[in-house]
Amino acid sequence: MKIAVSSDGLDLNAKVGFRFGRSKYFIIVDYDTMEFEAVENPGASSQQGSGAQAVVLVISKKADTVLTGYCSPTAIGHLTSKNIQVVDGVKGTVGQAVQMYKTGLAQKQSGSKFMPEKKYNKINRAVLVNALRISARQFVRLLPVLIGVVLLIGLFNSFMSKELLSSVFSGNIAKDTFFGACLGSIFAGNPINSYVIGGGLLKYEISMFAVTALIISWVTVGIVQLPAEITALGKKFALTRNVVSFFLSLVIAVFTVLTVNIIGG
Amino acid sequence: MSKSIMRMMYFPVSVIAIYVVVFAIAPDRAFLAVKGSWIILSKVIIPLGLVFVLMTALNIFLKPSSIAGFLGKGAGVKGVIFSMSAGIISTGPIYAWYPMLKELKEKGAGYSSIAVFINSRAVKPFLLPVMISYFGYLYVTVLTVFTITGSLAAGYLTGVLTEEKESD
Repeated sequence: MKIAVSSDGLDLNAKVGFRFGRSKYFIIVDYDTMEFEAVENPGASSQQGSGAQAVVLVISKKADTVLTGYCSPTAIGHLTSKNIQVVDGVKGTVGQAVQMYKTGLAQKQSGSKFMPEKKYNKINRAVLVNALRISARQFVRLLPVLIGVVLLIGLFNSFMSKELLSSVFSGNIAKDTFFGACLGSIFAGNPINSYVIGGGLLKYEISMFAVTALIISWVTVGIVQLPAEITALGKKFALTRNVVSFFLSLVIAVFTVLTVNIIGG
Repeated sequence: MSKSIMRMMYFPVSVIAIYVVVFAIAPDRAFLAVKGSWIILSKVIIPLGLVFVLMTALNIFLKPSSIAGFLGKGAGVKGVIFSMSAGIISTGPIYAWYPMLKELKEKGAGYSSIAVFINSRAVKPFLLPVMISYFGYLYVTVLTVFTITGSLAAGYLTGVLTEEKESD
């Protein structure tokens, strides 16, 4: 039986790594002999997908159990689907963690309770802290671009005249809607930016059809992320979905605005 | 500074650089632009606070592993409804979800379900306060209904145009 422990160092005296995906190393310990192998976690320095890389590593090392500080629900899902047990909330050194696990397992096997209910409180607290951390990270990532967009709109407003805008948006609903969808397909990022830009365009009396097409295509059509979508899901799927979504953004824009006009009077 | 932070800063730093140039050439316009930006920002700040709370709630209760299970079942109306719900409540950039979608595809998830998942991400429950502050309740409600309908249509069309040909 093999135990994979996330670790900050290369031996049993190293501290248990807090985050499963971000830990520098994994110490693969043989449950019976305590012989171990230290392997570098390729996901430790990755910006994205670190959890997935750690999952792949643990599976490739044929570990039966993972001991770590915190493991995301996604990684837990992948690991448990491969019948790998995950024990989180683990602290101390790698050696201590394995010994504690052994003791706990031995107690469990002998009929006494291993891991009392208290553990659930620990997990819940960890989930809450992690959720706050993720939200804060998402927020921090969102803010620079949002502030950039707001500043750009401010600049746009101070220079843009109705005349200049009407040279781009001609007032022809079909052309404007198409152009709005094109803009949304090119731009990417948090949709909140599309609302700010859309709100700015409305002030210049740009048609609601164009603004709606921009908002929808902003999320559903992604020219910038097309290479990533092709890599993950295949060329045929990615191209088909984006083309279909582009035309649907036009249809949704027309139906939405017409319905709002009818209901709103 | 990590690469991703650097990349994240390109855009705002470029905008600030434009401001510096504009301040040098036309200070009146630049002041007007800063004032206008502040008005826009002040309008978004309160809804953003609500967004943070909703994002945290979703991050607590959303279990991506269970979403994977739902999408993996794929077939039938149930699979489509699960895909749609999962897409609506999913957070973060779409490229963060690609590895999971790829795995689901390999496990047999249908192209329709995957397309429904991606397209229904256009409905952002946690951004609704901001959207309503810009466009009003009626517009946001109608747009949400049509966006959901559109995501189902996108799933159906993508499925028909890709899967049927692949099974030939």
